[in-house]
Amino acid sequence: MTSKSATAVNADNNLLLEEPILRLPLEVLRKIFKSSQRCIELDGKKLTEFARDVAAKAPQVSQEKSLENLNTMITRMQTLKRKMETLQEEEKAVHAQSRRRVSHLNDLHSLTSLLEEGYESWSKTRLDRYMVDYMLRNGYSNSAQQLAKKKGIEELVDVDVFVQCWTIEESLRNKKTTECLAWCADNKTSLKKIKSTLEFELRLQVYIELVREQKLKEAVSYSRKHLSGSYDAHTSEFLRASSLLAFPPHRPGPYKALYAEGRWDHLVKTFVSTHHNLYNLPQDPLLHVALAAGMSSLKTPGCHSTLSARHNTACSVTSLCPICSTELNELAKPVPYGHHTTSWVDHDLIVLPNGRVYGTRRLADLATKLGLDNGKYRDPISGEEFEKAETRKVFIS
Amino acid sequence: MDAIEKELDRLTNGANLSKSVKEIDKCLELLLAARTTIENDPSATISTLQTLEPGLKAGFQAANESLKGLHGGIGKYGKALDKKFKTTNTKEYPFGALGNSQPLINRAIMMHLLREGNFEIAEMFSQEADLAGSVPSVLELEFRELFSIQESLRRKELQPAIEWAEKRRDSLESRASNLEFELHRLQFLVFLFEGGAGGQRLALEYSKSRFLPFQKKYLPEITRLAGCLVYREILSTSPYATLVQDDSSWQSIIDAFTTEFCAMLRLSAESPLYVAATAGTIALPTFNKMSTIMKAKKTEWTSQNEIPFEVPLPDKFKYHSIFVCPVSKDQTTDSNPPMMIPCGHVLAKDTVQKLARGTGSRYKCPYCPADSFPKEAREIYL
Repeated sequence: MTSKSATAVNADNNLLLEEPILRLPLEVLRKIFKSSQRCIELDGKKLTEFARDVAAKAPQVSQEKSLENLNTMITRMQTLKRKMETLQEEEKAVHAQSRRRVSHLNDLHSLTSLLEEGYESWSKTRLDRYMVDYMLRNGYSNSAQQLAKKKGIEELVDVDVFVQCWTIEESLRNKKTTECLAWCADNKTSLKKIKSTLEFELRLQVYIELVREQKLKEAVSYSRKHLSGSYDAHTSEFLRASSLLAFPPHRPGPYKALYAEGRWDHLVKTFVSTHHNLYNLPQDPLLHVALAAGMSSLKTPGCHSTLSARHNTACSVTSLCPICSTELNELAKPVPYGHHTTSWVDHDLIVLPNGRVYGTRRLADLATKLGLDNGKYRDPISGEEFEKAETRKVFIS
Repeated sequence: MDAIEKELDRLTNGANLSKSVKEIDKCLELLLAARTTIENDPSATISTLQTLEPGLKAGFQAANESLKGLHGGIGKYGKALDKKFKTTNTKEYPFGALGNSQPLINRAIMMHLLREGNFEIAEMFSQEADLAGSVPSVLELEFRELFSIQESLRRKELQPAIEWAEKRRDSLESRASNLEFELHRLQFLVFLFEGGAGGQRLALEYSKSRFLPFQKKYLPEITRLAGCLVYREILSTSPYATLVQDDSSWQSIIDAFTTEFCAMLRLSAESPLYVAATAGTIALPTFNKMSTIMKAKKTEWTSQNEIPFEVPLPDKFKYHSIFVCPVSKDQTTDSNPPMMIPCGHVLAKDTVQKLARGTGSRYKCPYCPADSFPKEAREIYL
């Protein structure tokens, strides 16, 4: 009954959710590139200037002093070299990791049918990856690492990036901005490119907290130092923030919103979405997307029927439906059910006197297995037994 | 994928940091050489120091220069990715995500881990996600039993499975499951062929003591088994050749056992998380296509409970009977169930009412010449 196209593996279609596993390493490569560029430019400039200095001063200072200067130069150069070598090691690791990922995705191209064993094992690995992704995004990093290790998929998942993200999230939840501000500084250029307001909002929060504690002088100097620069981009917020000085937290007047605790949740959300944006990661866990689409396609009106006992959901001769099973039943309640344009039923249907409909073959097989007397059927769900003569044919077109 | 691999090759083979590191190394050597010179000949101090600045400058410039190649390489690799994934702009599931369902998803993952026998990870996960109580602890014990019986079956030990099945003979019987007899049958064959010189005697004794309760239902099969006692040495050329066991018969008994075990717990045999995630990735292209079309047409999708398009899935992903009314094209639900009319054709309840114009008057079946009253239609359960 299944058309050939329904079982063919279309590798590209299967890769719809797989973009991030190649994108993220690319972003890491970009970061490594930027760090090394900064190293070479800054340290290079400093070192050449130092060399010029040393050479210029050499006639006036002692030979020992010159040698000492040269040694300082050598030490600095060695530090730079070590930095570059570390970066190079990181780069190599990312290359190897990307290669593993490409070959994992390539494995899919060698498959032709969704019913092949190879597809099943590939799909199992994929689920493992999605579970690790889900766990990391929710801060269950130990479980995630254990699972990745057990399944041997450490190179296919991005533990470090998510752990860093989670650490910063947690610090924001504890109302600390230091870590997040440091992250903003690390990614200054990229944040500017996407016109992120994250840093401004963080600074604004620090300022609000100062006002909340009524450290007004500090608040003003903080505002001068960190907020006034953004006056052009955030004029109205800046003006509102300045007026806040006149409204202490116990008498907030029109500035209640600025004092609201909810601003911290907002900061967490802004940070996470900015972070994922920067690394080209989808905002939702991949597992959510796959599960939601999957549950909808599998779900039928019968899965949450209040009359479910009357439906053939738990039919003894077949396996239970995954949506009816405990794991997903509750979760699948709000998702819409799948659309069908044609009926999907057994061949040669007959109806029993109790109104239940089964394929003749299924009832006959069951009767043989149960060793029933000839001429009898048993309803696999209700357990009632009926004479064949009491049944009649049903036509479903 | 080939283009991506090619660009990746370019990165590992040349467009990387190795050249810049080499240049930095050269700068370091320049400095070290200068020190040696000065130490050997203090009078050359000033002249040597003066050569350093241009030397370093050139070195850093070269290092910077080779970074350009790296930048280009990364850019090209990025373009190759763009090209491969150009169609995947809509990554979001268009009909509401599962944002607020964290506890339920955690529970589903927890049960999946238990099902796979990853008990340590499940334990860790339960702590980290604070899942105490959301999965009944008895379930973990059950899954531990399932896993250990599966393991023993893999080692071709049948006793634990047989004991399990014997305890549940009645429930298995009512499910019309052959499992217990199948296990005994396999044990009989194991004794016969792997029991060495006394194999025949072992198998015969086993059959005498164990097959008795099954005599009524499985007599023909028991007869066959008895027959193959005689043909033990030349079974593959005998009339009983089909009884030769191989690995696939072990795999199928493991599968059958798993299905029955899970059914007793009212769970599906395959992990629902796995089935749903797999079905989801198969379905996703259709979802994407739909949301693109809806965006382009700026239409909203109206029916709340049903997705507006059919998702092609392989048959093994179909678990329920589905009835679509041939007249209204609606899937039947609790409130609009399938009705069989006297001629044996089936229509949705709403359709019957519509045909009778809501008055209860006589109407003709849309598929045959028979006519009937709506009250003669009876609800059926598919």
